[in-house]
Amino acid sequence: MPYCTPGKPTVHYTHFDVNLEQQNLVAALAETIIPKTTSPGAIDLGLDKFVWLMLDDCTKKSDQDAFFKGLGEFNDLVKKTYNKSFSDCTKDEKAAVLNNFQNKPDQKKADPAEDKYSKELRGFYGRIHWLTVFGYTESKYFMTKEIVWELVPGRYNAYFPVKNLKASKNG
Amino acid sequence: MANLNIDSAKERTYDAIVIGSGISGGWAAKELTDKGLKVIMLERGRDVKHNVDYPTTNMYPWEFKHRGQIPQEIQDANPVVSRCYAFREDAQHFFVKDQEHPYVQTKPFDWIRGYQVGGKSLLWARQTQRWSNFDFEGPARDGYAVDWPIRYDDIAPWYSHVEKFAGISGNKDGLAELPDGEFLPGFPLNAVEDYFSKHVKTNYKNRHVISARCAHLSTPNQIHIDQGRVQCQRRNLCQRGCPFGGYFSSNASTIPWALKSGNLTLRPFSVVESIIYDEKQGKATGVRIVDTNTKQTEEYFAKIIFVNAACLNTNLILLNSKSNRFPNGLGNDSGVLGKYIAFHNYSAHIGAEVEGFEEWATDGRNPAGGGYIPRFRNVYKQETDFLRGYACGLGAYRGYKHEGEGFGEAFKAGLSSKDYGPWYVGSHMMGETIPKASNFVALDAAKKDAWGVPLLDISVDYDDNDQKMQKDYVEQLTEMFTSAGFKNIKAETNHQAPGLDIHEMGGVRMGNDPKTSMLNKWNQLHTCKNVFVTDGASMTSTSCQNPSLTYMALTARAVDHAVSELKKGNV
Repeated sequence: MPYCTPGKPTVHYTHFDVNLEQQNLVAALAETIIPKTTSPGAIDLGLDKFVWLMLDDCTKKSDQDAFFKGLGEFNDLVKKTYNKSFSDCTKDEKAAVLNNFQNKPDQKKADPAEDKYSKELRGFYGRIHWLTVFGYTESKYFMTKEIVWELVPGRYNAYFPVKNLKASKNG
Repeated sequence: MANLNIDSAKERTYDAIVIGSGISGGWAAKELTDKGLKVIMLERGRDVKHNVDYPTTNMYPWEFKHRGQIPQEIQDANPVVSRCYAFREDAQHFFVKDQEHPYVQTKPFDWIRGYQVGGKSLLWARQTQRWSNFDFEGPARDGYAVDWPIRYDDIAPWYSHVEKFAGISGNKDGLAELPDGEFLPGFPLNAVEDYFSKHVKTNYKNRHVISARCAHLSTPNQIHIDQGRVQCQRRNLCQRGCPFGGYFSSNASTIPWALKSGNLTLRPFSVVESIIYDEKQGKATGVRIVDTNTKQTEEYFAKIIFVNAACLNTNLILLNSKSNRFPNGLGNDSGVLGKYIAFHNYSAHIGAEVEGFEEWATDGRNPAGGGYIPRFRNVYKQETDFLRGYACGLGAYRGYKHEGEGFGEAFKAGLSSKDYGPWYVGSHMMGETIPKASNFVALDAAKKDAWGVPLLDISVDYDDNDQKMQKDYVEQLTEMFTSAGFKNIKAETNHQAPGLDIHEMGGVRMGNDPKTSMLNKWNQLHTCKNVFVTDGASMTSTSCQNPSLTYMALTARAVDHAVSELKKGNV
């Protein structure tokens, strides 16, 4: 049976437990990657829970361990910089933290020590990013409202003129 | 009591027994029942009824808990099947998990199996290219294996026979090395595939890029409607089982057809332990099975037996069918049984970026998968330092463009962009391998499965010819892609074990000489004439075409002969 300590409800997965702080961090990160706009964001779509599900069911033990190590380092990094947790950071602060993880050469990095980030820390962000985007683009919302996925296309047009692309469904 | 036993034996007596319900077993049952024979089909796995037993067929991607991915614990427990591209959340229930049916790998072999009614015909990649005489004459010309006892003319009418019923889409390309068939309209090449096809035609002698021929009803004929099948809906979700019967499977086509005749009894949950040989009669009288639910042994009897258990299990059954007359396995006077196993060499692929063609994309999905390059090496004469050659898959693709990295509002909006990205083109090799006595299967001396059947021990490996062919594929395709102007060409070789191609063949090969082969030109055991083997086990050589169409044609041809011989009293 799941148990709750006041203020610290822990969720028990098959391979690990996740405390409230960890839940909040992953939810805030997923929401920063896929924010609520005029359309649903990561939390609306339950992508944070999807991240945990996939980490639990579809991830190697060694990668799960690395994920939690990276998560701890991420938490420490944010606390050291802003003296608060990531979920309490402002939108600009969150963006500044995430900019440190972008690989584009022209990206300005707020943290001068970003080149010293550990493999686990980068891996943690990479996995959250991948799972959040994967969950988003494979969500019912996205596949029915954004880029429609058809169960029964009924057609293959090998020469589809691109000027018609607004009428297009999917490939 | 005696009478009861006689009655019971009578109830278990048919005109013909078909072992296995996959692509060739389904054809055996269909042809035998069409000719009026009473047939029992034995399938080791459960029944899979068309439509009824396709639980995932109409599921949307988000309805799969892990969006298609196989959980890590299942992968860890089943590393072999987890390497198969189609073993995903939507079709995993049609695959044998390693742990359920162990085997011995003296050398690494990824044995991909489908133990259910329909077998792997539910899961196959549906590519259907005929063999030509360049293939049937190969062993004799190049001095490997043994001479095929048949030539193209022997099988051509049977290719036509099975193509008309199965429904094969393709174009009449007029190529000697890949004969045309009875085609439904082909699926067209897209802009980049078409460009490459024209480029190759102009710049290379005897090289061709054609629309892949596939077992899909692009436009069905009446014979397909009569089977209860309708037009392929271009879903490309085939591995789940198709509610439209849009692609050929035993489940959608041959088995319901045979059942409709009233002549077929289908018995799932029946592992064939061995074929029963009667020394006095000098022929096989039936088969011994184990019911996988009750673990009880039962015997079934018939005048003729078709063994279609899928290549390696067909080998296993014959090896395990020991008698005083055949102490080393049924029909195995020569010692050839289980040897000369071969497969297809899928050990390299290549990809590139394509500039231009911005005005074109594709819409919908192509069930054929794109283009096909028939073998162009060593066709008319030996020209390389390796024997035989390879066919190539060829596909070009263009998707919507979106950034891989980033975050926030703009990144999110970008994921919904319907602006197209660049075209990509890719190819993979499908190489012929040379059958050798040193590539073999045998029964494990001690280990047995849950039904008391010895485990199969597999000893199959690549050889030097395969390495040279892989190198040549990479060189040739790199050169052809370069000459076509494709950019950022990347060839990759892999170290996948034999078996993952799912084209294992041989072990019960056809040939003219009983001293060096198991089967005659009618797929009949040389020394036990009422037993026919018409699945991949019967293949003398592998060529490089996807083999299922040839199994279908060999099966229909063998049934025709078997029934004719039966009527003459010769079997």
